Amino acid sequence: MSLALECRKIKRTGLTAAFLGGELLASAVPVLNMAYRPELYLHREASPVNVLLGAGWQMMVMLNVLLIVTGACALYHMEYADNAILKMCSLPVKESGLFFGKAFLIAGLSAVFLLMEAVSVAGCAVRWFGTGREVCGEVLRNLGFSLLLLLPAILLALLIASVCKNMWIALGVGVIGVLIATMIPAGQFAASLFPFALPFRTLSGLEQETIRGYVTAGAAETAAISVLEIILLRVRRAFQ
Amino acid sequence: MKFLSLLRAELQKTRRSGILWILLAAAVILWIPSILNAEMNFGMQAEGISPEHNFLIQGFMAMAWFMFPASMVVVTVLISQTERIHHGMLKMLALPVSTAKLCLAKFLVLVFYSGMGFLFSVGMYYVSAAIASRTQGYEFVLPPLFVMPEAAAVWASSVPMQAFFWMLAVCIRTPVFSIGTGLASIVPSVLMLNTSVWYLYPMAYPFFVITARYGELAENLSMETIEFFPWLSAAVLITLACLLISCFRFGRAERR
Repeated sequence: MSLALECRKIKRTGLTAAFLGGELLASAVPVLNMAYRPELYLHREASPVNVLLGAGWQMMVMLNVLLIVTGACALYHMEYADNAILKMCSLPVKESGLFFGKAFLIAGLSAVFLLMEAVSVAGCAVRWFGTGREVCGEVLRNLGFSLLLLLPAILLALLIASVCKNMWIALGVGVIGVLIATMIPAGQFAASLFPFALPFRTLSGLEQETIRGYVTAGAAETAAISVLEIILLRVRRAFQ
Repeated sequence: MKFLSLLRAELQKTRRSGILWILLAAAVILWIPSILNAEMNFGMQAEGISPEHNFLIQGFMAMAWFMFPASMVVVTVLISQTERIHHGMLKMLALPVSTAKLCLAKFLVLVFYSGMGFLFSVGMYYVSAAIASRTQGYEFVLPPLFVMPEAAAVWASSVPMQAFFWMLAVCIRTPVFSIGTGLASIVPSVLMLNTSVWYLYPMAYPFFVITARYGELAENLSMETIEFFPWLSAAVLITLACLLISCFRFGRAERR
């Protein structure tokens, strides 16, 4: 019920259009890279998907994470704006249900985001590298990996937004989180487990062991942030 | 109402917003990697840049690329949202004050907070340079007469970008769009610097200034040098256009 409610709430917020715009921009990155400087990428030894992701993934995922932070702020801002949250709290709906409804919504929008990026990467691989259908498997594997690693970032952005009543504080904290993520070098496994930094990782060049580590960390962080949010909401409710 | 008192009133509105804490936190986080990776500055001597200059420039580059533009988007959200709660904007528009003046006063508040952000960054630079000097046994601290003009140049070059963000905040009523467009416009700024028309993209200015300075300090690196034409004229035109549009559009939605 919460998810359906959330879908109706975003009708006039422009969130869907913002995500669509971001998707178009992010999907254009590999296409523009290949159209304007193909000589930089065509003669590399790595697989086409890895070359394309290596060239543009940082920018694509950054757009995605920034949109997630913005979306999370907007979704909670409309609850806090005219004290709508108090009305929501008086309904027979759990406050955590509200949170997970919003999380599912952003996860769905992000999944579409990743799907469009995957189509763009696969299209570039076929058009410029002349690969066949086998590229789909590799692209889909990357998509699944990225979606799982995005979940902690989505939940953390929503957790921050749900805690801060002022939109600029939530946005500021989220932006600082993205700033930390951009400063973490790829080689440091422990530091890159920070929820906002996780999605910046791709499958290319990772060993099976490290991939397993990232997948486990993604799942564990998703569960941990969910539990933390439920506790925070209970505590806040108790003091209201 | 005099412009100065209007400006003071606008500043007072944001007094308890907590935005300074966010700017300070960003400045602190910005310099932590510089302290942790201080020894890497010695490796850059091959490029002909001294470690203490490299320490300053690398930190400022990180700031000019993402942190500074993103925090400016956050401040625009603060300025536009504080006025929307409880229809504050309607009350302001009911006063005998010119809307253009009001709009410019709010823009100057944004410029003021960007200046505060810079001061925090310079302050944190001195703290981190002192810590790095202690840990590495090498003097990283540069004289204020060298650091302050650098910071002032980057700050001044960011004014057109701030005018652009302010125009977005005024013209686009839906917060998702104004924030999303602002943040998304930061991401390709480095790409835009590689094109020949980079001067039409104000989000790239601060990063351009600092990379040009990097090229001057590192003898073996060839970077673009600052040429004031057509950059300066484009910057002035963009700033004026953005401010004119925002003054013209300011309060339109509320008055309808």
